[in-house]
Amino acid sequence: MYAKRFLNLAFLAILAALVGACTNYKEPAQAAISQAETALDAMSVDAQKYLPDKYKEAQDSIDAAKALFEKNDYKGALAAAKDLPAKVTELGTEVKAAKDQAIAALTDTWNSMSGDLPKMVDAIQSRVDMLSKSKKLPKNLDQATFEAAKSGLDEMKNLLSAATQSFNSGNVEDAVAKAKAVHEKGAQVMASLGMQVPPAAAPSS
Amino acid sequence: MEDKSNSTGSGADNPYAQYHVVKKGDTLSKIAQAYYGDAQLYPQIFAANRDILEDPNKIQVGQKLRIP
Repeated sequence: MYAKRFLNLAFLAILAALVGACTNYKEPAQAAISQAETALDAMSVDAQKYLPDKYKEAQDSIDAAKALFEKNDYKGALAAAKDLPAKVTELGTEVKAAKDQAIAALTDTWNSMSGDLPKMVDAIQSRVDMLSKSKKLPKNLDQATFEAAKSGLDEMKNLLSAATQSFNSGNVEDAVAKAKAVHEKGAQVMASLGMQVPPAAAPSS
Repeated sequence: MEDKSNSTGSGADNPYAQYHVVKKGDTLSKIAQAYYGDAQLYPQIFAANRDILEDPNKIQVGQKLRIP
């Protein structure tokens, strides 16, 4: 009777010790996972854009720690998660640097294109004005193509204006995307009018 | 007729400007006809090239004329 009671008490003591040990790992593991997850979520858009491989690596590490946690392996989860917040913080620094570098490159591209594209528009406008004065179009150009070229020129002007607005509002990426579209349209219009597009004036990607 | 070279459409610093290199037999009227379909527009080409042309009837082979 006493022996059975003693065994029960010993069992309960061991169980309590195990539960205590689990609790010792569970909370810090949960905290580390949660902290890393929150920090990664906060930078996810930029991280996926500028450093997708490193973002995936961090996400996989968090997922692995969470998987251990869900299997109640709190000790393993803590071991897997304890360095994650610091690693994610480090990733945040790298993402910011990568973003700054990308923005700087886009700004250079914009500065070059924003000076160049109005000249393209001017050259096309000059030719359109001349052809508009002509009593008859040259043999390589029909009326429909000329009308399309005039529409294309209007489209270029509108798009260039929108690109400038994007740049002025801080959206360099959109500004460059629109500027490239202007150049592409301009090359198309120039070709349709029998004009040559200088290869050196093509935008860098 | 396709333009033979580039530079400015409206100025020497414009990389998109269109030029024509004068060939034997060319006249400003013929060039205007080729580029615009209208020989009567030759004065516009002359005006765009006043820095190198003094007389619209005197152009020389090899001259690089800006075509507005």
